[in-house]
Amino acid sequence: MKANGDLRNRRSFADYIDDRPERGIFRVDRSIYNDPEILEAEYRNIFEANWVFLCHESFVRNPGDFFATHIGRQPAFVVRKADGSLGCYLNACGHRGATLVTARIGNTSQFVCPYHGFCFDTGGKCIAVTAPRTGWSEQRLDLTEFDLTPIARLDSYRGLVFGSLNADVPTLREHLGAACALIDIWVAPAPQELEIVAGFSIYETACNWKIMHENGPDAYHAPVVHNNFAQAVTYREKRETRAGVTKTDTGRLIGRIESASYDLGNGHTAFWHKRRDPEAFPIYAQRDELSKRFTPGQMEWIMGRGRHMTIFPNLLMNDLASTHLRTYRPIAVDRMETIIWCIAPAGEPKEMRAARLRKFEDFFLPSGMATPDDVAVAESAQKASFAFDSKWTNMGRGAEFRVDGPDAAARELGMSPKASTNSWDHEVSMQGVYRRWLELMERGEERRRG
Amino acid sequence: MADSVSSAAVAEFLYREARLLDTRKFGEWLEMFTDDAVFWVPAVGMDRAYTTDPETSLNFIYISGRAGLEARVFRVESGGSLASNPLPHTRHLVTNVLIDSDGPSALQASANTQVVAFCEPRGQQILTASCEYVLRKESGSLRIARKKVMLLEYVIDGYFDFFTI
Repeated sequence: MKANGDLRNRRSFADYIDDRPERGIFRVDRSIYNDPEILEAEYRNIFEANWVFLCHESFVRNPGDFFATHIGRQPAFVVRKADGSLGCYLNACGHRGATLVTARIGNTSQFVCPYHGFCFDTGGKCIAVTAPRTGWSEQRLDLTEFDLTPIARLDSYRGLVFGSLNADVPTLREHLGAACALIDIWVAPAPQELEIVAGFSIYETACNWKIMHENGPDAYHAPVVHNNFAQAVTYREKRETRAGVTKTDTGRLIGRIESASYDLGNGHTAFWHKRRDPEAFPIYAQRDELSKRFTPGQMEWIMGRGRHMTIFPNLLMNDLASTHLRTYRPIAVDRMETIIWCIAPAGEPKEMRAARLRKFEDFFLPSGMATPDDVAVAESAQKASFAFDSKWTNMGRGAEFRVDGPDAAARELGMSPKASTNSWDHEVSMQGVYRRWLELMERGEERRRG
Repeated sequence: MADSVSSAAVAEFLYREARLLDTRKFGEWLEMFTDDAVFWVPAVGMDRAYTTDPETSLNFIYISGRAGLEARVFRVESGGSLASNPLPHTRHLVTNVLIDSDGPSALQASANTQVVAFCEPRGQQILTASCEYVLRKESGSLRIARKKVMLLEYVIDGYFDFFTI
């Protein structure tokens, strides 16, 4: 189905982005949210042609540990091989293509296809077939014909595992770029390592994946959409006494606070806001120990600033209401799947862990007191994207406050963003998302045309 | 409990809870809970098993103390939550009610529920669960000291809240 009548006249993906920095104009054609052909091109040129987040290394710690996921449309699984290195293979039997790994997570010494019983080792090699002698002559049976298909690139940074179906990509370190400095302080406060807390959530939202991806760097909505969250916890805290880490800092939702946002380059974004009540956060209990290991500038980031980061196209980490890691993928032009985990320093005291979890459940998840409102807004924007006669979505806010390179706070962290602005509610970082989107879409189509 | 409670009385109590939710008498629904009530909806782990320890693992909802439930009611009635405005209408179907154990001060009961929720923007949502209750008598009336809801459909389409499960 053609979503918009003028699709046949499409000349290039650049027609969907109205980017005039000299006038501070940045607009996106809303048909990119509802055009199935655009989604096909995004699968091809973004999700299946560049680095995407796959999982955390703790999911695949020991030989034989595996985790099943998707890269764009393509089912894949990550596995810790017998030699201790990581592998990632498309999740399709090399024989007749049944789904090989049906559990989400597990451990095995070999993968046995549920269809015809073909066996594969953790290195993706076919090691046995059912009834070999009665189906092939000894000369003709070549098990390597059935080997699993590895993905082109696989690497990890600080425990975050990424993969690419396309070999022609920069190194993961280059891809993450300025985001590395932020990832470092997320992981570093953990006395041992970052832990993905047990229990997770999967939810499906009736919107294009980009609408929710935009909602990440969009702090402008928070005091509007989540005002009711602030009111509800304020109501609760009038009715029961809460102190220290069981309190909720709603300062970011009810009034102006110091903040900044960043275009990190490569489509990645970040923002921070000053915490009004640092004692309400579990990490505060570790401040003495951490101050021995970190500079005052880093300590300000770790203790004093709520932080948010998106890695294009499918990873979000934040430490706002609680500490969280989220990945997502489009499953149709108007439907996406989100998987969300709570992250925490491994080995933190039990009361800190419990407080972290309660804060997480308060705000996030499809059953929280904030995420449902984000979902409702995203789904309403999806419906409104069909208002073709009002076709531009406007992302110009804060353009005149943009400065190239780092601001003072970024310099404290040793972070080198492409651009900074002096408020978390600016839309400048989203412009970076769509400039990257356009770059990858155009590059992919050029490659296709040869 | 000392003056024993019949399973028919427990079933009627749970039907009344369901009707209060369906008729949006959330204030009266809150009165069915003890002050120290626990309202618990476990999440699942990646092994697809329900999480068992709220102190160390994630839940959809874990509320200890009625004030937390009151805040949820406050939020959905505030009009400020887009997800709750319009508030979905619900029909709670409660079945398979059993008293699992009857102690000196509390009894444990279980039930299966299926809740059909409908609102115009999102259409119909069906969530199915097995529920475990701890019920206590306070000044002659049964009260919910603990309600645990184990959702069958843990991959959530959209969102849910205390009144749609």
